Amino acid sequence: MDDYLIGVLSNVGVISFIALSAYLLLLIGEISFGQQAFFAIGAYAAGIATALWGWPLAAGLAWGAAVAGAAAVLVGVPTLRLHGLYFAIATLAFAEMVRLLCELFRYQITIDGEPTGPNGADGFRNIRYIFENDIGPLQFLVLIYALLAAALLGFMLMERSRLGVAFRMIGEDVALAGLQGIAVARFKVLAAGLAGALAGIGGGLYAHLTTYVEPRIFDVMLGVHSLAYGLIGGLGTALGPLLGVLIDIGLLESIRSLAGYRMIIFGGVVAFLLIVRPRGLLDETVVHYVRRTWYQIGRGRGN
Amino acid sequence: MIDFVQNTIDGVMIGASYGLLALGFTLIFGVMRRLNLSYGPSIMIGAYLGTLIYVQFSAGPVAVVVMTVLGAVLAGIYVERLCFAPMAASAGIASMVSSFAIWMQLEQAAILILPRHTYPFPPLATGAPLELGPFLLRIDHLMMLACALLLSAGVQYVIYRSRFGLALRAIIGNPVAAHLVGIDVKTSVMLAFAGASAVGGIAGYLVLAIDQQVTPMFGMWATMKGLIAMMIGGLGSIPGAILGGLVLGVVEAHSLWHFGPQVRDLVAYLLLFACLVLRPSGILGDAPAAETSIGRRSA
Repeated sequence: MDDYLIGVLSNVGVISFIALSAYLLLLIGEISFGQQAFFAIGAYAAGIATALWGWPLAAGLAWGAAVAGAAAVLVGVPTLRLHGLYFAIATLAFAEMVRLLCELFRYQITIDGEPTGPNGADGFRNIRYIFENDIGPLQFLVLIYALLAAALLGFMLMERSRLGVAFRMIGEDVALAGLQGIAVARFKVLAAGLAGALAGIGGGLYAHLTTYVEPRIFDVMLGVHSLAYGLIGGLGTALGPLLGVLIDIGLLESIRSLAGYRMIIFGGVVAFLLIVRPRGLLDETVVHYVRRTWYQIGRGRGN
Repeated sequence: MIDFVQNTIDGVMIGASYGLLALGFTLIFGVMRRLNLSYGPSIMIGAYLGTLIYVQFSAGPVAVVVMTVLGAVLAGIYVERLCFAPMAASAGIASMVSSFAIWMQLEQAAILILPRHTYPFPPLATGAPLELGPFLLRIDHLMMLACALLLSAGVQYVIYRSRFGLALRAIIGNPVAAHLVGIDVKTSVMLAFAGASAVGGIAGYLVLAIDQQVTPMFGMWATMKGLIAMMIGGLGSIPGAILGGLVLGVVEAHSLWHFGPQVRDLVAYLLLFACLVLRPSGILGDAPAAETSIGRRSA
C-alpha cells in the first residue's frame, strides 16, 4: 500500500471512533454536538501519558479512554436530564468550553532539552511515541483497525444483549422504557460514559497518528460531522456510521478535482440523502430485511 | 466605577446585536419547532452579496441594505425548501443535520463569491461618539439598539395582533386544524421563515456596518451568538431573545475587560451551559413566559 492510501485509511479508522461515539448516543435517542470534547480529552490525556510521563502506548490509550469516559459521565449526569434540542445545545456548549480550555491549557516538561507538552493555542507538539518505538504507518494502521474491530464486536454483542435492547427501548420511548422497569437515568449515563470512552480512544489514536494536536481541530464542525456520519450511514447497525465516514472521506478524496465546489456537492448530497432516507442508508428496515434474508438462506441450507 | 459603567454600556450595545440575531432565530424555532443551523450562513450570503455590490459597483448604503436583506431571505427560503419543507415534523434531527449540510454549501458559496479573507463593509454612521459626562456612546451603536427594540416590538405586534400572526399561532398549535379552517399552512410557514431571515439580514447588516469588515467566519459567529442569546432568554420568546442578547453582551463585555478574548468566549459558553442545566427554559421561559412564548399563548 502506498503512504497516501495508508494515511486516508488511518484517518477513516480514527474518525470512525468518534462517529461510533455519536451513534451510541443516537441509539438512546439523544443528539450530541459535543463528542469532539471527549475526542480532545482523549487526545490530550493519551499524548501527555506517552510523551511526558513515558508510559507505553497501550497504557496511554487506556488512560485517554478512561479520562474521557469519566468526563463524559460527569457531564452526563446534569445534562442527560435535558432532552432533544436542549441536550444537543448543552453538549455543544460543553465542547466549546473544552476547546477554549485547551487553548488556555499549558503543561510543559523539559525533555531532551526541549519543552514538551500542551502549550495553549499553539497546541501540543512532538507526541513522538510511534517514531521513537519504530512503529511504521502500516503497523499503526493495523492497530487502529484492530481496536475498531474490537469496538464493532462490542457493539454487536451489545445489540444482542439486554443492554442493547434497553438502549434501543430508551431511544424509542423514554416513558415507556421507564414503565417497563428500565432504570432510564442509569442506562443513559452508562451510554454517555461508553460513548465518551470510545471518542477518547479515537482521540488518543489521532494524537499519536498525527504527532501533534491543535485545539482548533476540535471545533463544532468535527462534532456535527461525526453526528452526520451515523445519520447518513444509517441508525440500524454500527456499520452505519462507518459507511458514513467512508462516504464523507471517500467522496471528499475522490472529487478533490472539483476543489472549490467540494462542500457544495457534499452538502447537497447529505441534504438529499436526509430527505430520501431520514434514518440513513442502513436504517432499521434494511438491517431487518438483510437479517431475515440471511436467516432464510441459512434455513434453506439446513433443509 | 467609570470602567464598570462604560463596559456595561458597551455590553448593552453589543448585546443589542445578539438580541437581533436571536430574534430571527427564535421566530424560526417558534414556528418550526426545529433548529435552523444555517441561519447564520444564510445571513452571510446576504452580507456577501451586499459587499459584492459595494466593492464592485460602489453601491450606496440603501442598495447594500436591500441586497443584504434580499440575499438573506433568498438563502433562507432555499434552506426552508431543502431542509424543512420536505421533512416530516417528527424528523427534527434530520432537519437540523440537513441544515448543517446546507451550512457547508452556503459557506463555500460565499467564498466563491468573494474569495479573499476580509472585505470592507460600508459603515453605518461616521462621526464622533456622543459624550455623556465621562462616558462615550457610539452613534451606530445607538442605532443598533433602537433597531433591536423597534424590530422586536414589530415582530411581537405581527405575531399577536395581525391576521397573519393569528394564522401562524394556529399552525403552531395544530397544523391539521389550521389547514381545515382554510389556512395555507405551507405558504404561511415559508413566509414566516422568509420574515425571520429578513430580521436576520437586518441584524447582519447592522453588525457588519459597525465592524466595517466581513470575513467567512461571520456565518458561524452569527449562528453561535444568536443561539446562545436565544437559549439564555428562553426558546421561542420574543422579549426573551432581546433580553438574552443584552445579558450575553454585558457578561461578555465585562469578562473581555477583565480576562481577555479567550476567557470571554469561555464565559459565554459557561453561561449557556449553566443556564441549560439550571434553568433550561431560559430567563423568560417559565410560567409567565408560557404566555410570551409563541404559540402557547391562550388568546
